[in-house]
Amino acid sequence: MTTKINIGPIHPSTHGVLRLVVELDGDTIVGVEPHIGFLHRGVEKLAENRMYMQNIGYMEKIDYVAPMAYDDAYVAAVEEAMGVEVKERAKYIRTILLELQRIASHLLWLGTMANDLGQFYTLFMWTFRDRDKILRLLQEHAGARMFYLNMRPGGVVRDLPPDFEENTLQVLDYIEKRITEYEHYLESNQVFIERTKGIGVLSREMAIELGATGPVLRGSGVNYDTRSNKPYYAYSELGFRPQVMFAGDSFARYKVRMLEMKESIRMVREAFKKIPEGDAVGMPVRLIMPQAKNKIVTVNRETPRGEAFIYMIADKERPYRLSIRTPSFINLSLINEIAKGSRLADLFAILGSLDLVMADVDL
Amino acid sequence: MKIERGKLIETLKELKGKGYKYLVKIAGVDNINSISVLYFVRDIDNNKEEVVEVELDPNDTALPSVEEVYKAADWYERTLYEMFGIEIKGRQIRRLLLEKWNGKGAPLRKNFEWGAPYETKQSKKAVA
Repeated sequence: MTTKINIGPIHPSTHGVLRLVVELDGDTIVGVEPHIGFLHRGVEKLAENRMYMQNIGYMEKIDYVAPMAYDDAYVAAVEEAMGVEVKERAKYIRTILLELQRIASHLLWLGTMANDLGQFYTLFMWTFRDRDKILRLLQEHAGARMFYLNMRPGGVVRDLPPDFEENTLQVLDYIEKRITEYEHYLESNQVFIERTKGIGVLSREMAIELGATGPVLRGSGVNYDTRSNKPYYAYSELGFRPQVMFAGDSFARYKVRMLEMKESIRMVREAFKKIPEGDAVGMPVRLIMPQAKNKIVTVNRETPRGEAFIYMIADKERPYRLSIRTPSFINLSLINEIAKGSRLADLFAILGSLDLVMADVDL
Repeated sequence: MKIERGKLIETLKELKGKGYKYLVKIAGVDNINSISVLYFVRDIDNNKEEVVEVELDPNDTALPSVEEVYKAADWYERTLYEMFGIEIKGRQIRRLLLEKWNGKGAPLRKNFEWGAPYETKQSKKAVA
């Protein structure tokens, strides 16, 4: 006989408002049914009824952990609708900022995942301290800690501040040391290993079949990353290598993100060596007015959580249709398949390894 | 590629056989005179993409479920159902996915009434 229990909608380990109805046989999970939509704002409908420039702010709120990724994806779609080329220096600046944002997002994930595994607030505090250093860097450039609004068609809102390179390299040296430390700390911890290795296994075939994306897909041994498969900005010049693990369990997903952070650090350092001189400032937002009628635009971007895909039908004043595929949405739909057969206590270890942001799920 | 509604499953099965095993997204678009549903599929190993488009009459929008071909279609079809009012044949949608209100009409259609009164209670269709 199976029992149904309810978890959420408010629960410290659901990373937002998520309700799970879990069917249990003893302590073993038979099925998980996620109930989402508590944060549904109707971003797609709102975007259709606002001017292009008004939407930039909305797009950032889709994913509040890595707002710049969506800022960039939307502005890239607008650029394509307008036929604007990104300036060469701006390409490098965007790459640097997006990779810094990725490290910040992954650090937050690392802290919360350790929380889900019962290591209450130790690692969380440490990663937040490190993440703050990156947020300060981004603040130096954009003027805000969280919602940056720094992308403009053709470039960025302003050039990097004069001492940005020096400060960033210092912070990266520090964070690289810390990441290695955390890796050592977690991987020599028997509890962490036992609660992640072999837990929540997603095979390669199932990952493709169910449409997993981002580190979840790469943790299952699929070598697909938008940054290498559909290179944009400076990624191909920086020699980006996608990080792939083959086990498909929670540990593999954890490891992919750790390796991604190191790869990001390497790329930012490389980018500072290769960044060209010149103008990087884009056009003011009030000039966003694509001379287009029903122009179809598609944009793929690798956000920290996975691949974001924007399908936009551009009109003159506002998007006729803006359809967004968010990575957390599809990664959450896997939970039933991944969690089947695990123990109830492991459900949150699995949920944590998917790196969900509920605002990103509900859109 | 644009295809007829009746050939949808057949076409997607054929594409899947060719290696397009990954469903990126199902998106709906209201063109006022018609409603198109787009299936974005991807061949991960060869890095190729294909779009399958089905055009529907706004008053007759029933679509066959493609869940048997792509399992990832599950939640996308449910959002199609609640956002565009597209009935998905071959599967029973027990509860709404995103919308917690028992509203009338399909929000992402262009003729959706803004500000129309609706119940704010959780949808009665919801099953615990």
